[in-house]
Amino acid sequence: MFKLFRFLKPYWWQLIILILATGVQVWTTLRLPALMADIINDGIVPGNTDYIWVTGARMIGLAVISAISSLVSSYFAARVGTSYARDVREAIFTRIINFNLLDLKEFSTASLITRTTNDVNQVQMVTIMIFAIMLRAPLFLVISIIMAIQTAPDMSWIIMVGAVSIIGSAILIMSLVMPKFKIFQELIDKITLITRENLTGLKVVRAFDNEKLEKKKFTKTNDALTKLLIFIDKVLELQNPLINIIFNGTTLLCSWVGISLLSKDFAYLGNMTAFAQYVGHVMMSFLMMSMLFVMLPRANVSAHRINDVLKRVPKINWKNKTNGVPDREAKVEFKNVDFCYPEANEKVLGDVSFEAKAGETTAFIGSTGSGKSTLINLVPRFYEATAGEILINGLSIKEYAKDDLMKRIGYVPQRGMLFAGTVKSNIKFGAPDATDEDMRKSARIAQAENFIEKLPEKYNSHISQGGTNVSGGQKQRLSIARAICKKPDIFIFDDAFSALDMKTDARLREALKEITDSAVVLIVAQRVSTIKDAEQIVVLDNGRVVGKGTHLELLKKCKVYQEIVKSQFSDQEFKTEMKKAEKGGRRA
Amino acid sequence: MRKRPGKKKLDKSMWQSFKVFLKSIRGYRFPIIVAIILTIGSAILGLFIPKILGDMTTIAVTTYPEMDWSALGGKAILAIVLFISSAILNYAQAYILAVVSAKYTRELREKILEKIFRLPIAYFDKHQYGDTLSRMANDVDVLTTSMSQEIADISLSLTTLIGVMIIMLTISVPLSLISFVVVPVSVIVVGKIMKYAQKYFREQQSTLGVLNSEIEEDYAGEIVIKSNSYEGPALAEFSKINEKLTMVSRRAQIYSSLSFPVTHIFTNLGYVAVCALGGVFVVQNIINIGDIQAFIQYVSRFNRPITEIASTTSTLQALLAASERVFEFLNEPEEEPDAEPARIVENIKGEVEFHHVDFGYLPGTPVIKDFSVKVEPGMKVAIVGPTGAGKTTLINLLMRFYETDSGYITIDGVPTREMKRADVRKLFGMVLQDTWLFSGTVEENLRYGNLHASLDDIRKAAKASNVDHIIEALPKNYHSEISEDSDNISAGEKQLITIARAMVANPPMMILDEATSNVDTRTEQLIQDSFEKLTHGRTSFVIAHRLSTIRNSDLILVMKDGAIAEQGNHEQLLKKNGFYAELYNSQFSEN
Repeated sequence: MFKLFRFLKPYWWQLIILILATGVQVWTTLRLPALMADIINDGIVPGNTDYIWVTGARMIGLAVISAISSLVSSYFAARVGTSYARDVREAIFTRIINFNLLDLKEFSTASLITRTTNDVNQVQMVTIMIFAIMLRAPLFLVISIIMAIQTAPDMSWIIMVGAVSIIGSAILIMSLVMPKFKIFQELIDKITLITRENLTGLKVVRAFDNEKLEKKKFTKTNDALTKLLIFIDKVLELQNPLINIIFNGTTLLCSWVGISLLSKDFAYLGNMTAFAQYVGHVMMSFLMMSMLFVMLPRANVSAHRINDVLKRVPKINWKNKTNGVPDREAKVEFKNVDFCYPEANEKVLGDVSFEAKAGETTAFIGSTGSGKSTLINLVPRFYEATAGEILINGLSIKEYAKDDLMKRIGYVPQRGMLFAGTVKSNIKFGAPDATDEDMRKSARIAQAENFIEKLPEKYNSHISQGGTNVSGGQKQRLSIARAICKKPDIFIFDDAFSALDMKTDARLREALKEITDSAVVLIVAQRVSTIKDAEQIVVLDNGRVVGKGTHLELLKKCKVYQEIVKSQFSDQEFKTEMKKAEKGGRRA
Repeated sequence: MRKRPGKKKLDKSMWQSFKVFLKSIRGYRFPIIVAIILTIGSAILGLFIPKILGDMTTIAVTTYPEMDWSALGGKAILAIVLFISSAILNYAQAYILAVVSAKYTRELREKILEKIFRLPIAYFDKHQYGDTLSRMANDVDVLTTSMSQEIADISLSLTTLIGVMIIMLTISVPLSLISFVVVPVSVIVVGKIMKYAQKYFREQQSTLGVLNSEIEEDYAGEIVIKSNSYEGPALAEFSKINEKLTMVSRRAQIYSSLSFPVTHIFTNLGYVAVCALGGVFVVQNIINIGDIQAFIQYVSRFNRPITEIASTTSTLQALLAASERVFEFLNEPEEEPDAEPARIVENIKGEVEFHHVDFGYLPGTPVIKDFSVKVEPGMKVAIVGPTGAGKTTLINLLMRFYETDSGYITIDGVPTREMKRADVRKLFGMVLQDTWLFSGTVEENLRYGNLHASLDDIRKAAKASNVDHIIEALPKNYHSEISEDSDNISAGEKQLITIARAMVANPPMMILDEATSNVDTRTEQLIQDSFEKLTHGRTSFVIAHRLSTIRNSDLILVMKDGAIAEQGNHEQLLKKNGFYAELYNSQFSEN
């Protein structure tokens, strides 16, 4: 929490005003009871009406000053608190947008969103509370105690009694309840889990007619939650009556002690009333601070979560300017590339080498976990190779400026991802200067033209946040069009065709040939049919290259590849394919 | 002026939901009334304490310097008795309300779960799960906590307010009038401020929502942003919304923190007036010194309930909004009740027939038109077609997750519509593409379709579905905890477990979805093998992706644009040289 306070630095002068205003407010508020005591002692007792009026006027003056300073401090608390939250939010966003895939994987999108919004809100709320309470309560506490002792020194032990009983009861209640809060949170999470399961498994639950079983599970947790809730409330609700008893008790004590001291000094008549009010302020301050101690741990959790993000230094360093001159001709080259996750023993990729030339398609195939997707993500430096070298157009990727490298790459991710806007803004996402002609051509090649033309406003049709208003296949085709529209040197399709049906897949690959004469095409695929025609197929198994060549070459010599083909083709088809391979035909 | 009708409508719907809410707590009316009476009692007892303390001062001053200690002691004991019994009543009330609200929470949550089971599946096509979840968790919580808070607060505040007023009036009418003048002014000003604060809080909430979806999109699509060098524009868009959020949340904060100093100044002015004027009154012997002391305390007690009542409007609004969301969900139309008396198919053979079935998810856009087919017992039916052609629609109709618009489906000649839904569904085993496992042990998951299955049956099924060795490899084998997002087993293995689950249930017919993306080749072979065992001798419907499956089917239904384009077996369809042939050739064309 306090680590984040570095973001308060630009607002130091506002903070100073805030502290001053708070000080003035506390002092004026606390002067009032003293003046009232004066009215009783020097006005009422001797019967001096003029004194009463004059002091009354002073009190009004103080009340007005108090209100004004209170307004000023509230204003600055809100101002500083919200500016601070804005800066923290922006820092988080900037950091996250520069994360690489490793960082993203570690945090998960959902948790990053919570960190940017909810956690910052939590911190903002507590920060404003700290301004309001943490500054005020200690001031109140100290000044009240001083003034109380000044007004009635013989009664000051009552402050101790009041403070100790308030703190004692707060500690008692908290120590009973705090440990239960964790269990409470767990039960709430479990309720949510069961509900979520019942929602996502709606059809399965109904198919097996297991509503009763599910309800039983739910009821068990629900009952446990109810019991715990009643327990927590039972203890927490002790607080109010206890505080009431303590407040009334100390007030009574003040009166009683004050009256018994009257014989010593008649001024106690006014003083005991003022004193009772000071003691009230002291106890209030303790209460306020204990409230903060309840809030603080929660905000601290949030602050930690924010710091985790801010602490993360980007692992990949980009050159500001490309260092060297890349070749004109497109080419991707891997030289003995290794990749392994930080702190992992096993390599995800080991000693991968290949060359992908312009005008050719290089495909990667292998079972889940073989590392094919990781491999392809090394090219745009979403991950950083741990050993070996990757060259693009003859120049190591580490020598490129980020934008210079990215403009050469047309990347299509596994899941089609769109952004709120229009069809047009999505296709031109990576090439804002593209002409409408280019855009239409890209859509046509990506097999998206048909459905776009059917949309009510064609290319100007609205795409909602995350592209939820188009189907999965349409999303995928639009993301392919987006990559095409960039006219990149290198196309990367990270398993981008799996969401398409075989027919569209085939048509798209056919159309793609039209624009990939001088481009490198890298494809990760699940289906053999998608990559059968590739000039080069790289077969991966457990992160190693176990075969390289064309479809027919690999059928002949690569066992892993044979297995893959066998699992996807019928026996008869497999036999024909094998026969073709044995004949040595190079035609696919 | 033009905004008026909208506002009125909102108030009306709020009033409606408030009425529904009141009706729903009717079962708790007795304890709630008791709690209110206890609150009132506690407040009244507490009211007399300042007056007694003041009396003590008066006694002290009038009997000074002798002082009547027995009278003083009597007053002190009375005060102690009063504030302790007030505290006890207060606790009793809180206790009752705690139990009521906990029970009410439990009841609402249970009702929501039951409702989930009774809603038509179609409801969840239109509503996101997150929405229902937040009704279950947040809205119920807000509703019940603000309910008990509100009951206690309003009754306490009102009693204190009225009580204090009466006592003040008995002490001194002119001083009371001075204090009362302050009240309406302060209430009006605070009310106005609160209204602005509310407005900005609402705006803050909606801006937060905008920010949320903006960053959700950016974070989820980060690789796309990166690879298109879009960071600059993304940050600019973010900053714009961030700035707006900051401005509204600042205004909300300022307005809501205004109410404190504003009430404070009114309180202080009243306080000063009472001190000064009261002092003058004492000097002129209009009232006595103890009463002035007591009166000062009452003035400070007088203000708290006023600010509290002013702030209840916002709690009340939160309560109403939450109750609206909870009861809106509970009042959604449910599935039509099962036919009464329902028909039962005994000794099922497995003959399924579609009779002129029409269906559409939305009225006016038919998905299936006049579809008829007869499936003989034991037949294998493959459903094929491009993505989004509506293959799952047929399954949804078979399982009665949706009802046909016209036409009907029979099983062994009995229309499914005349059977109980549960009975229809029990006839089918279902293995879907998205494997659904609940969090629990492997054994519990396997037993899901047949709660009385023995461990032996379960093992046998696991063996048959080739998942036995995988389960044995888990740390606690059959007692290992698994869940939908557990990563100790792969997607393919999860699918094998759902196959085993269907085998344990041992239904007479099968529905399978073959799509197995993200599964490695070896697991895929295991799945295929288990599928074959599962469909053996059973009428089965398969959403097919493998050509081997399609070829071995007795009947192929080819779907296109949501309708059945062709039907027949592989050879017949190829000969027809239509859509199926085109589909088939696109995968295995010879160049």
